[in-house]
Amino acid sequence: MITWSALLKRFISDPVAIIAGFVLLLLILMAAFAPLIAPQNPYDLMQIDVMDSDMPPSWKPGGDPRFWLGTDSQGRGVLSTIMYGTGISLLIGIGAVIVQGVLGITLGLIAGYKGGWIDSFLMRLADIQMSLSTLMIAIIVLALFQAAFDPSVYAEYAIFMLIFIIGIAEWPKFARTVRASVLGEKNKEYVDAARVIGLPARKVMWGHILPNAMTPVLVISTIQVAEAIMTEAALSFLGLGMPVNKPSLGSLIRSGFEYIFSGSWWITFYPALVLIALILALNLLGDWLRDVMNPKLRRGDE
Amino acid sequence: MKILRHLASVTATAVMLGAATLAPAQTLKFAYDADPVSLDPHEQLSGGTLQLSHMVFDPLVRWNKDLGFDPRLAESWERVDDTTMRFNLRHDVKFHSGNPMTAADVVWTIDRLKTSPDFKGIFAGWVSATALDDYTVEIKTDGPSPLVMHTATYVFPMDSKFYEAGGAEIVKHGDSFASSHISGTGPFTISEREQGVKVTFTRNPDYWDTNSPGNVQTAILTPIKEAPTRVAALLAGDVDFIAPVPPTDLARIDANEGTDLVTMTGTRIITLQMNQQRNEALANPKVRLAIVNAINNEGIVEKIMKGFGTAAAQQSPKGYIGYNPDLKPRFDLAKAQALMTEAGYPDGFSATMMCPNNRYVNDFKICEAAAAMLAKINIKVDLTTMPKAQYWPKFDERAADIMMIGWHSDTEDSANFNEFLTMTPNADTGRGQYNSGNYSNAEVDALTEASLTETKGDTRSEQLQKVEKILYDEAAFVPLHWQDLAWAARKGVNIEPVLNVMNFPYLGDLVITE
Amino acid sequence: MHIIAFLLRRAVQAVIVMFVISLIGFSIQDNLGDPLRELVGQSVSEAERDLMREDMGLNDPFLSQYARFLGHAVQGDLGNSYFFKRPAIAVIMDKFPATFELVLGSVLIFLTVSIPAGIYCAIHRNSWLTRFIMSASILGISVPVFLTAIFMVWIFGVELGWLPAYGRGATYELPWGWDTGFLTLDGLKHLILPCVTLSSIMLPLFIRLIRAEMMEAMGTDYVRFARAKGLSTTRVRYVHAFRNTLLPVVTVGGLMIGTLIAYTILTETVFQWPGMGFLFLEAVNRVDTPLIIAYIIVVGLIFVIVNTMVDFIYTLINPMVKLPGAKA
Repeated sequence: MITWSALLKRFISDPVAIIAGFVLLLLILMAAFAPLIAPQNPYDLMQIDVMDSDMPPSWKPGGDPRFWLGTDSQGRGVLSTIMYGTGISLLIGIGAVIVQGVLGITLGLIAGYKGGWIDSFLMRLADIQMSLSTLMIAIIVLALFQAAFDPSVYAEYAIFMLIFIIGIAEWPKFARTVRASVLGEKNKEYVDAARVIGLPARKVMWGHILPNAMTPVLVISTIQVAEAIMTEAALSFLGLGMPVNKPSLGSLIRSGFEYIFSGSWWITFYPALVLIALILALNLLGDWLRDVMNPKLRRGDE
Repeated sequence: MKILRHLASVTATAVMLGAATLAPAQTLKFAYDADPVSLDPHEQLSGGTLQLSHMVFDPLVRWNKDLGFDPRLAESWERVDDTTMRFNLRHDVKFHSGNPMTAADVVWTIDRLKTSPDFKGIFAGWVSATALDDYTVEIKTDGPSPLVMHTATYVFPMDSKFYEAGGAEIVKHGDSFASSHISGTGPFTISEREQGVKVTFTRNPDYWDTNSPGNVQTAILTPIKEAPTRVAALLAGDVDFIAPVPPTDLARIDANEGTDLVTMTGTRIITLQMNQQRNEALANPKVRLAIVNAINNEGIVEKIMKGFGTAAAQQSPKGYIGYNPDLKPRFDLAKAQALMTEAGYPDGFSATMMCPNNRYVNDFKICEAAAAMLAKINIKVDLTTMPKAQYWPKFDERAADIMMIGWHSDTEDSANFNEFLTMTPNADTGRGQYNSGNYSNAEVDALTEASLTETKGDTRSEQLQKVEKILYDEAAFVPLHWQDLAWAARKGVNIEPVLNVMNFPYLGDLVITE
Repeated sequence: MHIIAFLLRRAVQAVIVMFVISLIGFSIQDNLGDPLRELVGQSVSEAERDLMREDMGLNDPFLSQYARFLGHAVQGDLGNSYFFKRPAIAVIMDKFPATFELVLGSVLIFLTVSIPAGIYCAIHRNSWLTRFIMSASILGISVPVFLTAIFMVWIFGVELGWLPAYGRGATYELPWGWDTGFLTLDGLKHLILPCVTLSSIMLPLFIRLIRAEMMEAMGTDYVRFARAKGLSTTRVRYVHAFRNTLLPVVTVGGLMIGTLIAYTILTETVFQWPGMGFLFLEAVNRVDTPLIIAYIIVVGLIFVIVNTMVDFIYTLINPMVKLPGAKA
């Protein structure tokens, strides 16, 4: 564990980390304040007009200064849809990681602290889940859900379904990491001391062991947000994710795909660029955090 | 046999060349959005089935470009009396199996059509078909019928001996002899078929129509579902001919030097129906008029359809007997707002709307745009879009206040629109089966019924045009547009002469010059 | 003996997984929309459609439908696809070669690239090429596979027109009925873009993995000892050190098969590749329940088989490891 000031010092001495952090901050701010700063609310039907559709970016011939990055087939400004869409992507990414974290940390603590059959059962379950792929599980579950639910219900709850499915599918990553830390900490003196003075198991786990396992959790979280956003984008691209009237970056790319060959490349290109920038920034920060905090952790065998 | 499939077809073509014709060997590679679901021409009434029928079979008569009838297997026909029609067949026609085509085959085919769930509706009025001799068929109808010739375009004589021997059963949801074997009289036979991947057609060397200029020896159909990929395939030269062409790519194909684009005003009307039973406001004709005035369907055609449609004010497209030239598309936002106030809804109301997202060209985008337009007169639309497999059950339930429906008249006749879309729904007669708005007007019902037994063209025309006028005045539905049809081919593939608004390219007559 | 025990255990696991999948798939099929509309024309009446529904057994109670399904399923009959009107399993098996060759092609690509690249990066830690490869690999990880696919189609298929961007092209039928694209020039051309796309997502992961394992292996006593024995550097690197990286590569590779199959769905969608994933999404749209369920079951089986194989290979490479779940 390193101190915050040391962390900050490492941060400002690494230009890659600074740029990644800056891009991420910019995208988060852009998404968070979209209702205030976006030139248009693309989901307020009063504000859009189909007669504005398919305009190229404003500096191209046929462009319009109101729509800096052009418009899509319904006359929504691409810049505005990106601002709102980034928010939805981030929301799902962060939401899913919170679900993963809560589930994974809880189960990881229990597995590590209790041991015995609970431990073997949970870890076996984690093994099975890891051997299936998250995207595969999500595609199948969502395909079935989409067919089973009423479409209006599906559209309304799509965001929660995505958060929970991606969340539930990925809990083993957190659980394994936390369990490993617990096993390392369990027999240390301070845990024994806490136990001796009669603290209940729950308090020992959450109050004493967990804080010491937070470093790897933080590292994983960053990369997991990137993966969750990527998974969501893939699902939305397949038409199994966010509906057209509440699009994430993935659904924006999907709706632009059919126009890419006919010359309206901007409908796909800019959301794609933002999506890549977002995931790249998160991955770079995650890698950097891992190197700084715990050089032993490696991607590929988390 | 370790021969490449690719090579096999080339070899087959070469062999045939020597045997049958002097025209240069031409291979047509073409891509549609789907391939035929079955080889049985009576299993499903769909564009795909009819396109296949026109390649492997021939109809008694077929539509020409002016919506008239050209003789095919029927050389000539005569009306004997009000309820009787006689068709004289060609004498020189052989099926692919080698069996000669006779009146018995035609009667057999008509009897089979009458047992097909999909086709029996069209043939309901044909009481009997009788072979007077080997080459004369007499049709009797249950009353005076103006649509005998329209119906005859659906009779593609099948090889009755061939099917009787193999199995003639029509199976809608399983494998049958007829769904995988085929013998017709048409310009092509099917030499290879892998469902969902490709169908290879080979020219029939003994084709009866020796006047046909067609020189395609092998035609390979590849289904390419995604429109952008289909266009990319044409532009890359992987295929010679594609349909449908997505509106977004029309300009690009037109501008491209190596490709030709052909467009036509289609006959499929796209509408929104407003449910008067679900939503009280929609029962008010003023509100419906306001909605029609608020939806800029010319704007939708221009922007969303990229000009690939003809804004409509009625159901019947130009050329149909019921087309009323006086009716013009309406769009007047101020008037719409005034009508809303007059109707007692100055602050608007809420309505639900459902649309399919993979049925009609740009279906869900049209609905999104319509919802935005209705927002301008304070109608808050809650729109849901879904794949057609889920949409149709919803449509049957009348699950939303506003629902989208497109309709193509199977008989190419105006009355068909009214029968299904705008007549008072009646479960017993089946009228108004697709009238999700529950629009009902006794005069519309009476005029349509009268037109179905009226054989005088002028009177029919009057009746059906009057229906359109009533529907227009009462804003029975929101007419959006007739979907245009578009085909594209590389230069040298002269598709224009073989195309028509029914969207049955007569590929047997296709000429490839280079 | 323990191999039989291991196989048995796997089989039981597989059966349980399959049962759960089939039950889930089946329990919601009542709500899966109406397949009838896809099968009939526009003017067929509701009464006619209901008759057909009755005929197809779609109106029977849930349990009797499920029992019928299970009864047939154990005999290897997963029902007829509504759309293709043939046994669902046969329809899927027809598409299996396409998906398999896509996966095979991309595995070949990423192995032939990632192994040398990983080794190079491990040996020349600070060269500019290493730094470039490592930076490029993080970019590679961050580009979703469907975007790679779109860009490939756009650039090489449309703008430059170098390579075909849809379908499989001409295929050659092997004697046992397997259509292969590897044996025709046209088929090979069609394989390039989809395979490169699919491998692009695995490539960076494997380069990083091989590099890391290689670096670790070169630091082990075993390699140091080999070097001390006077073996040539090349031999030490490529024989001793590299062999030690195989184990994690196989393990991770096995785990990745699931992801790879999921990515085939995305790749096949963009390239209109007539494989199982493309078929599955179409089946979902058409509400072709037997086909949906059959796909899920086939994919489940592939997972089980691949994981079992990986465990076996694992023991072959490293005989010290016991088969999981087997008591010696």
